[in-house]
Amino acid sequence: MPENTPYMVAAYIITAAILVGYAVLLYRRTRKP
Amino acid sequence: MTLLKTGRWITIVGLALLAAVYVRALAFTPVERFQGPAQKIYYVHVPSALCAMLAMGLVGIAGILYLLLKDPRFDRFGEASAEVGTAFSLVMLTTGPIWAKPIWGTWWTWDARLTLTLFLFLLFLGYLLLRGAVTDPGLRARYSAVLGICGLVLLPFIHLSVYFFRTLHPQPIVLKPSAPSLPGEMLVTLLFSFLVFTILYVGLVTQRYALSLLREQAEQHA
Repeated sequence: MPENTPYMVAAYIITAAILVGYAVLLYRRTRKP
Repeated sequence: MTLLKTGRWITIVGLALLAAVYVRALAFTPVERFQGPAQKIYYVHVPSALCAMLAMGLVGIAGILYLLLKDPRFDRFGEASAEVGTAFSLVMLTTGPIWAKPIWGTWWTWDARLTLTLFLFLLFLGYLLLRGAVTDPGLRARYSAVLGICGLVLLPFIHLSVYFFRTLHPQPIVLKPSAPSLPGEMLVTLLFSFLVFTILYVGLVTQRYALSLLREQAEQHA
C-alpha cells in the first residue's frame, strides 16, 4: 500500500480552512457594527 | 428566529458535522488497497464538487426564474449561491490536484474534466465580478441571470466530459445509471459527507442571502 498520508492530511486541512474561513468571514460581514 | 440566525445555526451544525465526517472517514472507513490513504481525499473532493455544481445549477435556475418573474428574491439567491459555490469550487480545485499528485504523478493536466471545472470556478468569479461592476440593480440582476444560465448549461458537459473525452479523471462511481461501485462502508461515508456539505451549503447561502437583505435595507435607509 502506498504511503501518501501527508497528501490526505493536507487536503483535509485545506478543506476545513476554506469552509471555516468562509463561515467566519460571513459571520464578520453579517455582524452588526 | 431571523433568517440570519437560522443560517448561522445551520452553518454551526454543518461545521460540527464536518468534524464528524473527518472522524468517520479517517478512523472508521477502510483504506483503499491500491491508492492508500490519499484515496480518502475522495470524501471531501467529491462532495465539494457536487455542491459547487449544485450551487451553479441553482444560480442558473434562479436566473431563469428572475427573467420570467422579475422577483428580486431570485437575484438575491443567485448572488448568495454563487458566492458559496465559489468556496466549494475552491475546495474542489485544491483537493483534486493534491489527490492527483500521488496517484497520477502530476498536480494538473489540461484534460476536459479538469479544464471544465476550472472554467466553472472562473465563471463563479466572473459572476461575482460582474455583480460588483454593474451598479444599476435591474441591469445587474438581468446580466447576472444570463451568466448564471450559461453556468447551468456548462454542468452537463462537466459531468459527461469523462465519457466524451480521453481523460485521467475517473468516471462517476456513484452518480451513474448502474449501481454504485463502492463498498458499503465507503459509500455510507461518502453519502454522509455529501449530506454535511449540503447542510453547509444551505447554512452559508441562508447567511449570505440575509446579508444581501441587510445591505438593501441599509441602502434604503441611507
